[in-house]
Amino acid sequence: MGHQITIHPVTRIEGHARIDLHLDEAGQVSDAQVAISALRGFEQFVIGRPAEEIPRIVTRICGICPWMHHLAAVKAVDGCFGVQPSVSGHLLRELCQILAHIHDKILHFFFLAAPDFVLDPQADLSVRNIMGLVRQEPELAGRVVRMRQLAQQMLARFAGKAIHPVAAVVSGFSCAMQEDVRQSLLADARELLDFACYAMDFAKKQAFERLTGEFDGLGSITTGFMGTVDGQGRLRLYEGQLRLMEPGGAYEDFQACDYQQYLAEHVEPWSSAKMVYAKSWGEGFSLNPEQPKGIYRVNTLARLNVCDAMATPRAQQELEEFRSRFGRPVQTTLLYHWARLVELVYACERSIELLEEQDIINPQVRNVAEPGAGRGIGHVEAPRGTLIHEYATDEQGCITHANLIVGTTHNIAPMNLSVQQAAASLISNGQVDEGILNKVEMAVRAYDP
Amino acid sequence: MCLAIPMQVVELRGGSDELLDPQVAMVESDGVRKEIRLEMVDRVPEVGDYVIIHAGFAIRSLSEEEAEINLKLMRQMAEALEKEGRLPGAPE
Repeated sequence: MGHQITIHPVTRIEGHARIDLHLDEAGQVSDAQVAISALRGFEQFVIGRPAEEIPRIVTRICGICPWMHHLAAVKAVDGCFGVQPSVSGHLLRELCQILAHIHDKILHFFFLAAPDFVLDPQADLSVRNIMGLVRQEPELAGRVVRMRQLAQQMLARFAGKAIHPVAAVVSGFSCAMQEDVRQSLLADARELLDFACYAMDFAKKQAFERLTGEFDGLGSITTGFMGTVDGQGRLRLYEGQLRLMEPGGAYEDFQACDYQQYLAEHVEPWSSAKMVYAKSWGEGFSLNPEQPKGIYRVNTLARLNVCDAMATPRAQQELEEFRSRFGRPVQTTLLYHWARLVELVYACERSIELLEEQDIINPQVRNVAEPGAGRGIGHVEAPRGTLIHEYATDEQGCITHANLIVGTTHNIAPMNLSVQQAAASLISNGQVDEGILNKVEMAVRAYDP
Repeated sequence: MCLAIPMQVVELRGGSDELLDPQVAMVESDGVRKEIRLEMVDRVPEVGDYVIIHAGFAIRSLSEEEAEINLKLMRQMAEALEKEGRLPGAPE
């Protein structure tokens, strides 16, 4: 008889993911599943509530990425009420989002992922964590510890409490930035960029070689990709059009408000989470590892693959080096980590650009907005991928319809394929040890720690 | 979507050295107890505070009052689903 191995909780993903590996009688992997516990109640829960409350409520429930949900929701409500944010409101919102990205990338790369490939993945769990990194690389760890809260402190300086963001309001932002605050933020943003460049140099010397060396091919699959670009095809995190790329590299661009023409949702019987697939390719959806259908990936590597260029100079240099080594599109799953640091460099450069805009201190932080009937779709690129909020409102401005597609949702299908691939390539004759199971988990951690 | 359930801090341990012996928190929710790292938290919590946890790290500390608002919203959401005969997270 065959048997099942469950990795639960996934070491650093505890709480919201579980991996089930099914072995047949010969001890070969017959199936593998990544189950993500998802919450499906939010869309029903918000019906009837005043739309302007939604950006504040959502951060109390989706508290892992509160800024991403706060901003996607407020953009969608702008659409429902038919208003545009003021110039400074728009810049301040983007600055919030970029700083939240910086914080998340430092957490993800150094605390959750780096222990895998800076340390030995065969090492005992008690060593293979951030403390192991501290003992092995004290200078780096010291800088990470100092940087870890800087982005959050910067946010608090102009956007109020960071616990549950409330700063973005319909048609803009709640309070203006003062010139002295702008100057202090600029100094800190330059320090963050300096750290990002140091981190990139460190990773190239100490970590990335192993991604393309001993771990090469782990979790690799062939899929399409999706991300956000501006009118010149440059990677954007806060605003732009969506670009959906086929596995071969051909792509089409569309506005987020038309997402239902390109993407469709699917629920597998064994998973509570919905999956999303590329409807516009006309091939349907299949998780068959031999011939997957409709599957694309989002998040750092996907965004790097779909863009033609980076919008800031240092990040552009990094993209050029990445592309000259690995081509386009890159399918190697573990290169999500490298792409993450390229985005960290972009985010730091972009925060400086935004703070150098004189308009960011314009006191007119919002326009006039009146509740009313309408439909709005707001999207941002969140750390875990494209986040879409869609709402419709009645004459009183209360919610009549809601639909959310969160970053992880796009990646659940590819994560399943990556885990199947990793497990099948590592396990034979039922031989499993902790080092192998950790490598299977690494295939998931590349996407979503 | 990932649900950010606040967990209450019942004990703080360690803290003799920022790098080599960082402070950690024991947290509890519904009888489940676990140790949580504090390197990424916005404010070091006190015993009785709540924290939002991501991948074994506390990322935000909440006062009991703040946490109650979140938990109440989540309970309302669960009740709304139960009325429709579905539990949160249950397949449709």
